[in-house]
Amino acid sequence: MKINNTPKLTLFHCLNSFEETASMFDGCEMKTVKMACSSMTKDVHLLRAFEAGSDAVLVLVCSDKGCRYAEGSIRARKRVDYVKTILDDIGMDGRRLKIFNTSAKDYGSIKNIIQNTILELEIIGPNPALNHFN
Amino acid sequence: MITASQKPINEIIELVEPYKKVLILGCGTCVKTCFSGGEDEVAVLASALRLSFKKMVRSIEIEELTIERQCENEFIQEASSGIARNDAVLSLACGAGVQALAKQFLKEVVLPGLNTTFIGIQESPGIFTEECSGCGNCSLAIFGGICPVTRCAKKLLNGPCGGSQKGFCEIDPDTHCAWHLIIERLTTLGQMDNLKTYIPPKNWNTSLSGGPRKLIREDHII
Repeated sequence: MKINNTPKLTLFHCLNSFEETASMFDGCEMKTVKMACSSMTKDVHLLRAFEAGSDAVLVLVCSDKGCRYAEGSIRARKRVDYVKTILDDIGMDGRRLKIFNTSAKDYGSIKNIIQNTILELEIIGPNPALNHFN
Repeated sequence: MITASQKPINEIIELVEPYKKVLILGCGTCVKTCFSGGEDEVAVLASALRLSFKKMVRSIEIEELTIERQCENEFIQEASSGIARNDAVLSLACGAGVQALAKQFLKEVVLPGLNTTFIGIQESPGIFTEECSGCGNCSLAIFGGICPVTRCAKKLLNGPCGGSQKGFCEIDPDTHCAWHLIIERLTTLGQMDNLKTYIPPKNWNTSLSGGPRKLIREDHII
């Protein structure tokens, strides 16, 4: 199902795993949410990003062993996995929520993640609840 | 604490589907501790339901509230205006909380959002284990504080069955053999003599098998 409008993405990130640069968000409308540590990723915030109209939500975290606060990335991944099951259960398609281990200076990889997400949205379609929000 | 787990989301959707305004009411005591019915779980469920209904192009108004305890009338009253504003209450409490609400609000629809499971403890973060069956006749003093009625799969009261493997139950190899634990504990306490006394077959009259039970404290009744 092709997305007619520019896809909307929300990106939650640990401040050590992402740094915004020009052209990184080409082809999408991006909202970023900076967190002191990815352990602050909360399931309700991920869901509310979809309620706010995001077609996809990305969570960028440090490597599992690279978290300054020990377990942040692992906790974030578990919460993302939990929310993916909720999205699947309600027919929203859990594939529109993704988590990646990145480092702030790895601009190329992060840009690829965003562009691949935009491409994948061409297959899975827009947020199925999107058109019904006020 | 009383432990519970959330019903599958599709079952909850079916329960709330007939109503236009639903209050999701959390309980801030036991089920909050086991991550099933506190503020966070209310917020997640509310969000998931809103998304689900939008996807189905159905309108639903969801209000969120969590009170300290749903099994006590004093706390339940805090929810009365919220309950009055909505067509139904989806209670994220144990079965006692759901029924306490239903008793207080005779004309309101009260729906269960959780499946109540057991009386237990948090053994380690995220892992809850059943410890008490509420049998009404506690014998923990004899068994060093470890309940064979609940924790032995065969509910044996006079020693182990002999089938345990390296301290684990033959019924479920992930569960400690209660009798292994009892003997270890009584050895530590120097109370192994406790086991010399024959324990007669358990009197189940004090348990649920006699029908719903009642606890009466005359000194609190006026």
